[in-house]
Formats: sequence, structure tokens, C-alpha cells
Amino acid sequence: MLKKIPKWNLVLLTTLLAEIIIFGLINPRFWNIKILLNSFNDFVGIAIIAFFVTFVIITGGIDISGGSIIGLTSVVTGLLSQVYGMNMWGAALLAVLAGGLCGLLNGVLIAYTRVQAMVITLGGMLLYSGIALVLVGMSGASTYEGISGFSQGFINLANGKIWSIPHSVIIFVVMLLIAYVLLHWTRYGRYIYLTGINQNSAEYSGINTRKIITSTYVLSGLSAGIAGIILTSYLGSSRADFGAEYLMPILTAVVLGGTLITGGKGGVVGTALASIIIGFLKLGLQMGGVQTQYIGLATGMLLIISVAFMGGQKFKVNVRRLLNFKKDREVI
Amino acid sequence: MSKVKGMTKHREFRTLVFLVLLFAIVGLINSDFISSGNIHNAAKNSLLYIVLAVGMTFVLLTGEIDISIGAVLGLSASVSGVILRDGGSVFLAVVIAITIGAVIGLINGLGVTKLKISSFIMTLGMLEIFRVTQVIFTNGKWVENLPDNFKHISQMNVFGINILTIIIILAVILVHFYLSNSKKGRYFAAIGDNEDGAVLIGIPVNRYKVIAFVISGVSASIAGLIFASQIGFISTTAGLGIEMIVIAAAVLGGVSLSGGIGSVIGASIGAIIMSSINSVLVFLKVPAFWNSAISGSLLIIIVVADVLIARRANNRTRRDRLNTRILNYKEEV
Repeated sequence: MLKKIPKWNLVLLTTLLAEIIIFGLINPRFWNIKILLNSFNDFVGIAIIAFFVTFVIITGGIDISGGSIIGLTSVVTGLLSQVYGMNMWGAALLAVLAGGLCGLLNGVLIAYTRVQAMVITLGGMLLYSGIALVLVGMSGASTYEGISGFSQGFINLANGKIWSIPHSVIIFVVMLLIAYVLLHWTRYGRYIYLTGINQNSAEYSGINTRKIITSTYVLSGLSAGIAGIILTSYLGSSRADFGAEYLMPILTAVVLGGTLITGGKGGVVGTALASIIIGFLKLGLQMGGVQTQYIGLATGMLLIISVAFMGGQKFKVNVRRLLNFKKDREVI
Repeated sequence: MSKVKGMTKHREFRTLVFLVLLFAIVGLINSDFISSGNIHNAAKNSLLYIVLAVGMTFVLLTGEIDISIGAVLGLSASVSGVILRDGGSVFLAVVIAITIGAVIGLINGLGVTKLKISSFIMTLGMLEIFRVTQVIFTNGKWVENLPDNFKHISQMNVFGINILTIIIILAVILVHFYLSNSKKGRYFAAIGDNEDGAVLIGIPVNRYKVIAFVISGVSASIAGLIFASQIGFISTTAGLGIEMIVIAAAVLGGVSLSGGIGSVIGASIGAIIMSSINSVLVFLKVPAFWNSAISGSLLIIIVVADVLIARRANNRTRRDRLNTRILNYKEEV
């Protein structure tokens, strides 16, 4: 049974348990299951995007526009429902579709012109957050206060509970299941891996890699849209700068989750575990009395260390390489 | 070799044409825009971006990327700002700022070459770490009350032209000649163009990658000094998000993210375009909230259009370029 679980996921699981134990010892309130479950609200958006950015990275691309799409969907929801008086849920649906459209633009440009994914999504990042600002600016709403006054039903989307389980946990699990089934149980998922391992040979074996690549960006855009809706509901207002600081945590979750940044290898369970680890790390540090602004130090180190020393064998090799710097130089 | 030069010049030329067109069109609509005072200002405002883009070009040429420059800028600006505020000499502040940039660049370089961490991830992690370091160092407060003699540095003029502008333009030209005409300078592009090939012809690939990161770090800290001198105070968010604008500037100027292609002159022109968008919007009386959307779509449109137009030509010249590079190498040995 244990053998079937990838080694890295076991490492992540152990880290998670260790984290819970250590933070609990520092502050026993951390062991309160209610607090732990409620903390999902803080990172469910990051996790949802990270699931589908995992798809993108497995195909060998990268998507750094997710954070901006959050801001855009948030603004679109607010404008349509509050300023133009549309039905709340219709507005939310349209906003998610707008996120998907952003992903489609990314995907088509990347797959069909073969410009580097980093450049296109960098342009996309500026463009989508820019469009969000333009929409806010033209509608006359205040940039800093944002648009508020959402109906209670919409606010409940993120803040409500079923049998004392917060909605955010349920959304997390549902999105994880969707991503897991898509990636690991379907032919589509296998094609994603094949595209990432070797795009040319995948193309020769009859896979339409361009469509596969485009679709992963669309999924990533849609998931960013959903994250935008959840964040808007959670905070009760829509602002253009929501999600602006999400770039780093999303990539950390994906890479810490064991997905190879060069593509071809990875999985969503790792991403899910990693995002919980990062989320609990923040919560634990906050409860341990560390100020919020210093937490980036921990996540930054976590990112570098995890990538550098992923897996047992590579760790030794890397340390040896680091120690032999001078010798190495002469050999080169 | 002449073909190589022809091609790179061509791309820079296209970017330059775009810049001139931008200024001409905006000048037609609002003639104040092409007054000497405004052009002088535009040059002064873009200095920061030019310095960053030149450093970034070194890293991009080797096929890597450096996201950490915003944090290097912020940290070295705050540290040197605190030294100056507390009565330290300008010389000490400059030396310490440059040391900070060099050390962070060295860590980035070693992480990428020795630990084989993808440079995107490595420098993204460093960005986060040193942003926080800056906040810890300044206790989350702004560094204010910089001495006047330091602020005066960025205001000095020679023959009515800002002295920093002259120095930086000369430096960019020198760096350009180093990268395109000297043997060692060409190593950077050679590594990015074909790393295995570079190893085979005996280029110390890892050493040059580390050097590229150090240069990028040092130029980011110089940019930090320029920032402190021009603005006169350093907020905790100094340089936030600047890395993406600088990468966009380099890409606009024809520097390829996959390495091997590009020049510092192109990157500088890209930097001027990116930093002029702000004042263009002001002169066209477009509200400032359009800024980001316009930068983003410009980046996408120019890059995609360029790829579509030049893809076929690129493939051919790339083959030629590889051949000429091998021939040249034989001649020099």
C-alpha cells in the first residue's frame, strides 16, 4: 500500500505532520481542528490555481498570470452584479468565463506561435491586471475601497459551513478531485504528461499537442477565475489588486509539490499537500507571534531548499558539488 | 559575422523605429512632448530601467533569468540610505550597496550552477527572502532625510545634460562593444545559444553564468543608488514588481528569453519605451490606470508579431550564425 504512494508525497506528508506537531507544541491552540479548517480560507485560492498550474508546468510551460486573473474576475463580478445590476450568480459565471478567456488567449498564443510561455503570461499578467484597473477606473468606483455590498448568499459561498466544515475546505476537496481525475485517470491526463516529456514525439504519435497545451492554460485561467470568485466572496468586496501577491505562493506550491519545472513529471496530490504545508506554515508562524510581513522569508527559503534538495540522492550530490566549488572550476 | 551584425542591428533598428514613431506620434498630438525639456526628463526617468535592463541582458543572454533584482534594488537602496542618513560617506554607501548586489548575485549564480536549481525558482525565492530582509532591516519604515549632497548627484548637469545620463549612455555603449566585439564578451551569448556546444569549445560555462548573475546583482544595486538619489527617500515597496517591467523591456528590445540573442542597446531602447509609456499617457491625457494594460498588450503584440514575421528568416540566420561562429573560433585560435 505504502509503495504505491510516490516517495515525495510521503516526504510532504511527514513534513505536514511534523509541522502540525511543532506548531502545536509552540501554541496549543494550533491543534484546534476548527482553526485549522478555517485557515483553508486563506489559501484555498492559491491551491485551486496551483492544481491547474501543475497541468501547465507538466506540459513544460509556465503560467504567471493567475494572480492577475483573480483581480480581473473579482472586478468583473463586482461590476456586473453591483454596478450593472446583473443576477449575482450569472455575474459570477461570466467572470469565471472571463478568466477562461484570458487563459485561452495565453494558451493560443503560446501553443500556436511557440513564443515562450513566460513572455506571453508576463504580458498577460500586466494586461489582465491592467484591464481590471481600467474597468474600475472607467466605472468610477474607488480603486482602494473596491466594490462592495454583495448579497448574503454570495458572501456565504466562501464563509458558510456544512456540518461545521467550512465551504472552503469542500471547494478545495472538490477541485482537487476534479484535477486528480482529469490528470491521473483520463487519456487527456496521459497526453499532458506525454506532451511534457517530449513534445515532438507526442506530436508524432498522433497527439494534438497544441490543443493539449492550449487546454491546460484554459483550465488554469478558469481555476484562477473560480479562485477570484471565492476570494471576492470571502473578503466581501471586489478589488483590482486581489491576488497580486499570489505569483510566488502558487509556484511554490507546485514546485514544492514535486512537479518538475522543466515538465513531464508531477502530480496534483503533491501540489495539494504542499499548499496545505505553506498555508499551515503561515498560520503557525502567525500564531507563534511572527509578524505577517516576515513570513515571506520562510516560504522563500522553503522554495529554494525544497527544489535544491528534492529527493535523497540528489541532496548528497548537491552538497558535494557545493563543497568542491574550487576543484570543479578547474575541471570545467 | 557581418550577417550576424546585420540581424541584431536590424532588430534594434526596429525597436528604435518604434520608439521614434512613438515620440513622433505623441509629439504630433501634443507638441510639448518633444520639447527638449521633456526628452531630457524622459531620459533621466529611464536611467534606472536602463541600468537594470543591461544587467538583466547578461543573465538572459546566458539563457537564465533573474527575478530577484527588485529586492536587490530595494535592499541596497535602504542599506545605503541608512548609512547616508546616519552621516556615513557617499563612498562607503556606494561600496556597501555594490557588495550587497554582488553577494546576492553570487548566491543566485551558485544556486543555479551548483545546485542546478532552475534560475526562475532560485531568484524568485531570493526575491522573497531579500524583500523581507529589507523590511526587517528598516523595521518596515521608510528611509527618509537623505543628505542633500547625495540627492544632488542625480541633479548635476554638464552642458545642460544630466551627468548620470551621459555616464550611463557611455557605459551602455562600452558594454555593447564588450559583448559584441570581445572574445570573452561573446561567451555569454554563446552559452545561451548552445550550452553543450559552449562546453565543447572550452568555455567555462558555469563561471560565466555566475559572472552574469553577479553583474545583474551589481547593476540592480547601482539602480538602487540611482533610485535613492533621484527620489530622495526609500519606501518599503521600492522596486516592487520592477523585475517584470525590466524583463518586458529587455524582451521588447529583442533579447530572447531562451538565451543567445539580444544586445544591451536593444534592451536599453526597450527600457526607454517601457518608462516612457507613463509620460506618453500623461501627454495624451489618458488616465494613468491604462498604464499596465498598455504595457502588457504592447509586450504581447510586439513579441508575437516579431515571431510571426521573423520566424522563417530567424531559422536561416541562426544556421548561418552557428557556422560563422565556428569559423571565427578557428581563426582566433
